[in-house]
Amino acid sequence: MQLLDEEAQRLTALRERMFKEITKACPEVYLNGHPTKRLPGNLNLSFAYVEGESMIMGMSELAVSSGSACTSASLEPSYVLKAIGVGEELAHTSIRFGLGRFTTEEEVGFAIKKVIETVTKLRNLSPLWEMAQEGIDLKSIQWSPH
Amino acid sequence: MAYSKKVLDHFNNPQNVGSLDKASKDVGTGVVGAPECGDVMKLQVRINDQGIIEDAKFKTFGCGSAIASSSLATEWIKGKSVEDALKIKNTDIVNELALPPIKIHCSVLAEDAIKAAVKDYLAKQAKKKSEGSDDHGNR
Repeated sequence: MQLLDEEAQRLTALRERMFKEITKACPEVYLNGHPTKRLPGNLNLSFAYVEGESMIMGMSELAVSSGSACTSASLEPSYVLKAIGVGEELAHTSIRFGLGRFTTEEEVGFAIKKVIETVTKLRNLSPLWEMAQEGIDLKSIQWSPH
Repeated sequence: MAYSKKVLDHFNNPQNVGSLDKASKDVGTGVVGAPECGDVMKLQVRINDQGIIEDAKFKTFGCGSAIASSSLATEWIKGKSVEDALKIKNTDIVNELALPPIKIHCSVLAEDAIKAAVKDYLAKQAKKKSEGSDDHGNR
């Protein structure tokens, strides 16, 4: 029981470190779910203007999923995120990080670096990021859903 | 998901990323897709008086296959006449990148982006022409 508590604390600290360092380096990154009432090793983030699958591809050293654990192979964003009120656009940009018993500080440091690099690279590629930087309201645009 | 080597190459080293001046008369801009669908492509062309695409740039929000499809599209249309660029079919992109069925919509979007960019350019030229003839008539 004591070990369980210790492990929960260790994972929570790793998760908090990840969240803080990523959001400090990258603007417009949003936490999905409750800030404290969540599994210690679960961090689910939306990286606005960067599509989730491309994030996964850009961080091939990391084993993460977009949306929920079981739907990475489909194109639909996570129905869980939608159900807890995450909008369709941000749901497409979500990544779920899982930390576990054998995750180390060094690995978390490596993952943070990789995430920041990839978000920066893909935002430079993103027309939505460009529009947002120009002050264009994305909701004002007539999109062509397909 | 398994990606072909060509998709990975374009994703890791995308060609012609960037933007052209969308206000310029010789630049056509096409923006296709929608954020809520998970992919948006912006493709731009600069076309000279001979109707040759001198430059092409893109930015894409979407999966690796969408990024690769638009990167490939800009590579293919650069140096081509408008007429030849419009002949590029989404199936050509599917074959070149070995896209799986679930990613075919990415190639469709790239074809649409080329067409939208050319259409925007032609609309600008038509406007320029009509304005030009108005000027002439006023003199």
